[in-house]
Amino acid sequence: MITLWRIFSQSWKNLFRNAWLGAATIFVFIMALLSVNVVLAVNVLLTRVVAVLEDKVDVTVTFQPATPDAVVTQARFYLTSLPQIAGVSVISADQALADFRSRHEKDPKILAALDELKANPLGSQLVVKAKDAADYPFLLGVIQNPQYASFIQSRTYDDHQLAIQQVETIGNKARITGAILVAIFAFFGMLTAFNAIRVAIYAQREEIAIMRLVGASTSYIRTPFILGGIWLAAVAIILSYVLLFAALHWIEPVLRPLFEGVNPGLIVYFQTEWPVVLLSEVFAMVGLIALVSWAAVGKYIKR
Amino acid sequence: MGPMILLEHVSKIYPPDVPGLHDVSLSILPGEFVSIVGQSGAGKTTLAKILIAEERPTRGRVMIGGWDITRIRSHEIPELRRQIGVVFQDYKLLPKKTVYENVAFALEVAGTSSREIQRIVPQVLQIVGLETRANRFPMQLSGGEKQRVVIARSLVHRPKILLADEPTGNLDTINTRDIMDLLVKINEFGTTVVLVTHNREIVNALRRRVIVLKDGEVASDVQEGKYLLSV
Repeated sequence: MITLWRIFSQSWKNLFRNAWLGAATIFVFIMALLSVNVVLAVNVLLTRVVAVLEDKVDVTVTFQPATPDAVVTQARFYLTSLPQIAGVSVISADQALADFRSRHEKDPKILAALDELKANPLGSQLVVKAKDAADYPFLLGVIQNPQYASFIQSRTYDDHQLAIQQVETIGNKARITGAILVAIFAFFGMLTAFNAIRVAIYAQREEIAIMRLVGASTSYIRTPFILGGIWLAAVAIILSYVLLFAALHWIEPVLRPLFEGVNPGLIVYFQTEWPVVLLSEVFAMVGLIALVSWAAVGKYIKR
Repeated sequence: MGPMILLEHVSKIYPPDVPGLHDVSLSILPGEFVSIVGQSGAGKTTLAKILIAEERPTRGRVMIGGWDITRIRSHEIPELRRQIGVVFQDYKLLPKKTVYENVAFALEVAGTSSREIQRIVPQVLQIVGLETRANRFPMQLSGGEKQRVVIARSLVHRPKILLADEPTGNLDTINTRDIMDLLVKINEFGTTVVLVTHNREIVNALRRRVIVLKDGEVASDVQEGKYLLSV
């Protein structure tokens, strides 16, 4: 018990007495952690951009002008019941005409031509939004069933098909690239931290040899170095999160206009995902420090 | 009474084939003050390293206080080091610890209680005349003071043996005399002292047993001997 307390207090004292070495190590740890967290944030932004783009995609199904409202309503209910559907809205024939007039209010020829017609030449429309862009072909196949097919005049999917597929491809690539980047930066972060620990212990190699010469056991020498590394990692993790959230609070309002006023979701992501992100980083750092300190100190413990 | 230190036909060869010691046999009794002398490369430091198990002999047998340390295991070395106080020419003090903490460290690693440490360390610092320097760091001390801290650290265990490897190598004449007086006083309290040196003057002034090493072998072993120029 007394030895445990001594090891603990020794590691704590070393932290202050090797302040500059500790500060340099903390700085490297912070850089390693920030590089991972920044890539995570970029990944979140990329996903968000793709989500915004996907959100903008929809298809419009236009019915024949004489289609009874009951058919349109039935088609809407049918589509809404499908799990792939995010939302279906109806634009009535009258609303479609009003919208058309509004769009062409500066074009008297078109308006005059419309006035010549006795009946509304436009049919009702269903604006269909899927949860996933990949589901549009399926949904449009569904609406083509014989019950509705004869009433459908046109659909915009054929015009947007390429754009929808591109958004879908970009989304998938962004997610894979983001995951690979996070893995790469986590690896480099660990390499950097690994080297920082080795340098810190190398700087104290003579002390390690002296401790051995005056009769300290291997574990009595090793443990304070491992604990000391963990204290440094704890400080680095706290500081890196303070810096990260300060940066997020600054950058999110700057990014908001790029997302047409929608919240980019960076702060929300780190607020909701922090247990997973933080615990992963804590376990990775502590594991790395324990392993590297154990090996590096052992190198300098002579007989 | 059995010997405190016993070496039987000890040889040490450093890889690939550099000889350090060759067939060295000697016996040192408890309470003796022995100077091991010789020129650079004679094997003095190799002998000192073998005594504290920093090196293993290639051949032969080494006994310390009846304990055969020839093939000592790694985890047994701390126990041996707590029985042998060691004084080095380059001090080997922990730079980030105060004088008090450096001396206390040798007790802490042995699991001595805090109360005992608080009792013993001031006493030992008083013996070496450093009671007023307890809170200083090594870099704030003179060479002579640093060496006295090292002696204090080596004494706190009440070791059976004090091994001093060139303890005055970095000191001026006055500090050299002070340190030698201290070693003699420690010997008078019953500790076996082994002084490894190439300083002819201090060995000749001691008039104690002198073992001369030459080319890794014992060239002479004389009670109340002298370190002669011709050796």
